[in-house]
Amino acid sequence: MLSLSNVSSHYGDLQALRDVTLEVDSNQIVSIVGSNGAGKTTLINTISGVLPSSGGTITFQGKRVEKEPPHRIVNDGLVQVPEGRLLFPYMTVLENLELGAYGERARNELSRSLEAVFGYFPKLEDRRKQLAGTLSGGEQQMLAIGRGLMAKPQLLMLDEPSLGLSPLIVKEVFETIKKIREEGITILLIEQNVLQSLMISDRGYVLENGSVVLEGAGTDLLTDPRVKEAYLGI
Amino acid sequence: MFEIILQLIINGLLLGGIYALLSIGLTMIFGVLEVVNFAHGEFLMISMYMTFWLFHLFGLDPYVSLVIIIPVFFGFGMLVERAIIKPLLNDPPLNQIFTTIGLGLVFQNLALLLFKADFRAIKTSYSNANLFLGELIVNVPRLIAFVIAIALIVALLLFLKKTFTGKAIRALAQQRQASMLMGINVNKTYSIAFGIGIACVGAAGAILMPLFFVFPTVGSMFVLIAFVVVILGGYNSLGGSLVAGLMIGVIEGFSGFFISPHLKEVVYFIMFIFILIFRPTGLFGRR
Amino acid sequence: MTSFLSSIFDFVDQNKRVVTLAALIGILIIPLIPRNSFYQDLIIMIFFWGTLAAAWNLLGGFAGQISLGHAAFFGIGAYTSTILYLNFGLSPWIGMFAGAGVSIVVALIVGLPCFRLTSHFFALATIAFAEVLRLLASFWRDLTNGGVGLLIPHEPGFKNFIFEGKLAYTYIILIMLLAIIFVTYLLKKSRFGYYMVALREDQDAAESLGVNITLYKMITLIISVFFTSIAGTFYAQYYAFIDPDIVFASHLSIQLALLSIIGGVGTIFGPILGACFLTPLDVFLRGWLGGVLSGLNFVVYGLVLIIAVRYFPIGIFGWLKKITGKYIKKPTYALSTAGGGETGPIGERSYRPPDEDTVPLIRVDSIGKRFGGLEAVKDLSFSVYDGEILGLIGPNGAGKTTVFNLISGFIATDTGSIRFDGKDITSLKLPHTFCKEGIGRTFQIVKPFQSMTVLENIMVGVFNRVGDVKEARKEALRIIERIHLSRQVSMEASHLTLANRKRLELGRALATRPKLLLLDEVMAGLNPKETEDIIQVIKSISREGMTILMIEHVMKAVMALSDRITVINNGMKIVEGLPEEVAKDKRVIDAYLGEEYNAELK
Repeated sequence: MLSLSNVSSHYGDLQALRDVTLEVDSNQIVSIVGSNGAGKTTLINTISGVLPSSGGTITFQGKRVEKEPPHRIVNDGLVQVPEGRLLFPYMTVLENLELGAYGERARNELSRSLEAVFGYFPKLEDRRKQLAGTLSGGEQQMLAIGRGLMAKPQLLMLDEPSLGLSPLIVKEVFETIKKIREEGITILLIEQNVLQSLMISDRGYVLENGSVVLEGAGTDLLTDPRVKEAYLGI
Repeated sequence: MFEIILQLIINGLLLGGIYALLSIGLTMIFGVLEVVNFAHGEFLMISMYMTFWLFHLFGLDPYVSLVIIIPVFFGFGMLVERAIIKPLLNDPPLNQIFTTIGLGLVFQNLALLLFKADFRAIKTSYSNANLFLGELIVNVPRLIAFVIAIALIVALLLFLKKTFTGKAIRALAQQRQASMLMGINVNKTYSIAFGIGIACVGAAGAILMPLFFVFPTVGSMFVLIAFVVVILGGYNSLGGSLVAGLMIGVIEGFSGFFISPHLKEVVYFIMFIFILIFRPTGLFGRR
Repeated sequence: MTSFLSSIFDFVDQNKRVVTLAALIGILIIPLIPRNSFYQDLIIMIFFWGTLAAAWNLLGGFAGQISLGHAAFFGIGAYTSTILYLNFGLSPWIGMFAGAGVSIVVALIVGLPCFRLTSHFFALATIAFAEVLRLLASFWRDLTNGGVGLLIPHEPGFKNFIFEGKLAYTYIILIMLLAIIFVTYLLKKSRFGYYMVALREDQDAAESLGVNITLYKMITLIISVFFTSIAGTFYAQYYAFIDPDIVFASHLSIQLALLSIIGGVGTIFGPILGACFLTPLDVFLRGWLGGVLSGLNFVVYGLVLIIAVRYFPIGIFGWLKKITGKYIKKPTYALSTAGGGETGPIGERSYRPPDEDTVPLIRVDSIGKRFGGLEAVKDLSFSVYDGEILGLIGPNGAGKTTVFNLISGFIATDTGSIRFDGKDITSLKLPHTFCKEGIGRTFQIVKPFQSMTVLENIMVGVFNRVGDVKEARKEALRIIERIHLSRQVSMEASHLTLANRKRLELGRALATRPKLLLLDEVMAGLNPKETEDIIQVIKSISREGMTILMIEHVMKAVMALSDRITVINNGMKIVEGLPEEVAKDKRVIDAYLGEEYNAELK
């Protein structure tokens, strides 16, 4: 569904991504893990069109998207739930969700999507009139994911959804991600929490200094000592 | 004494409505695009001239000409945004400041060239009409201006609250990165926001014309008031601009009466500097 | 042709003193040239606007504080000397300095608090301020004769600052112009000048290198206001008439800025070039167009401003410099080793692990920081001992950068205390004071002063302890050799590779002669070879006795360099100890890889 081929990107003359090649097939959960500064967020922002790429191709559902503006990529069905949530703090839960369905395609199905999201996250329905900035960390993450779902994604990319959350909530988040995949949505997961993410993934890629250094089936990577090495330098 | 105070309050509020409308445009532009439009006053001046000529050449009543002016200024704003403002959005502040100042200079002096420095005014049949509430005098053009201003502001606030485009504008002002990820066309939304801001100025000019004179530098007078209102209300709060506009109108009236008509501006400029130094977020601003 | 130009520049370069003297004599002769009153007036106007523009440029171009209300000080100068003269017969020469004094006092009272406003708001404040003065001057008739203005009767005499003919005025304004150019030149060539560029480019980086931003802005403000004010007095004496709408006019303020922008903001000669270019243009435009098309000149200015700001930001001077750049020889420096990368063999360090009696260089006790609802750092205590390398690690969002900012003065701790080198520094407010105490730091996202060369960047650091430019340059060159940037010594920082920028950042912090060096994710984004290189540089710095606290994510580096490691997560310390122990500690593995990772692996 999504394939990157030799994608590079630069910040000025700093090379942030080097020849990244990866594939996400339909209905898979694919994880990209790596320590800080490895380039995970740069990668996801390049896919979303927020950052320009300086080389390589990005193909989504057969269409070349590396030169498209961000709003069109979203409309094509490639949606990102950004790192740190980035909610609209002074708007209500409901407004945040409605904005998720801004794109034309999504807007037509707004009420149905809303129902579905409240199905995943009943707590959000209780708090729909609350300002997003006043929610707890876990609730904010739920809202961010919900907002992403409102855009009717074919592929949902989540950037560090476990960041800053307590272990119990993290478990909930990963359960939700599995549920979303069961509904037919493909998932690309960027995470520092190697264990939880690789456990639910079909495939994983390890990113270090902007390059893919390791790839394989989720379960295989879990037992690969090189993953631990990449993190702990031993 | 009491009647005088009440009269001052009424006059102040009525004028304040126009100030609010003028300032709300500035707040929108600053809140969404983070650009200070130093040429804001010149847009007002252009609108006043346009109202003047529509009246003199076609006999169009200023309040009726709103129907033309609002869309024209919306388009005008979008055009200016595309052509001049957009390239500046990531430039250092020096560039932004001087580009809009340059724009203001050009407008101001084109007006001087075309229309000369003469003061011009409109006289309608109701220019001097007054309503009487007991001892209190309510000037009709002021009242109409106030009503229209408030109506437009309320309409704008509703637009921002209820429509998708309005929400997109609010979202963009709060969280730019996330807005891009929502499928919001950021460039288009910037243009629309700027256009709306200029449309507000245009409307303010049209309703102001019956009450005042127009001359090439009239914009400079009012733009400073607008800045004071924006800062007082909170530079990213539209509701704040409304409240602050009314407040400044009243403060101006009181200073003019109790201190001196020549010094009323001094009062709110000094307020302005104080607010910038001690409470830059104003009354209702965030962050 | 090109060799001809080259030889001219070479000649100038080698005979600087003679050429300057000749130029000076030439300039002093200029006022004698015109025979015609019209041209004499033109020359005066060029010098006049040049002086005002140069004064504005000092604050706006060099310090980066854009004022749109400089007319305020022009007017204060004009009115003070005139009022004192008309009412008390005080010689305007003295009145001039009195006016400058008033302007300076006013500028400090209003301007200083406004410095922390962002550019747009600062500009607005200055506009409002000038307006207030204009209105006050119009209104306060007893003092200023209001809108009618003040007329100075024509009573020639040196003491009265009134002269027959224009020659004397021409020389007076020329002397003012030369004075401000000279002052600007002196400042630019001194430590002040380097600090100004640094301040303008990146305030945080400058603060971290010990630059007292507020002080330098204040000095710049005072000088700028001084010259603007005395020019106001000159104006009053030359035209013999002032009124509020002339001397406090907002378009005067804008014109000053315009001249500097066109000529070249932030350069010594830019403002005069701008004046030379625009003043005659203005006069001729107004002459040709007369009263018929009045206003056209400003339309032109407005358009010029819009275009210049966007497409010619370097101004006339910058453009001239660009063209002639190839003919001007770059300075060369005597450096021992060329190249970056190789290091000699690493000797043994004299570092000894601390025992219970050792007093740490820095001791942090129960510090904490809350941002709104988030407690970024909670009750954190740790110490760093003399000569050691302490690694501070933890997952993303653990609070490491907040800790750094707390120790380097960029944010203040809510709780607890920080003791450094025997002194309690908890209550120090500004980052530059931390640098003065001996804490140097680098930034996660490197902040080189882009328009300065490697050498100049390092010099800014050296200036923390050394005041003299020549001495500073020598020391900077030594540091450049140590960090192996010799080949890039004259290269602009913006052209450096990332690895070299990191070296530069390291070297610059080192140049401040810190006792404690804070390294913020220095390895981030480097490839393995570059990482190895920087590790060697850090090792060599440590070998010379430097105490280092480093935040790092690249585990290989942390393990290779650290004597001890402190691990934090969620703002709190979870483990502390020797690298090998920490790497095997279950709590650390949990924090990084997620709970039960090890268990799952088995």
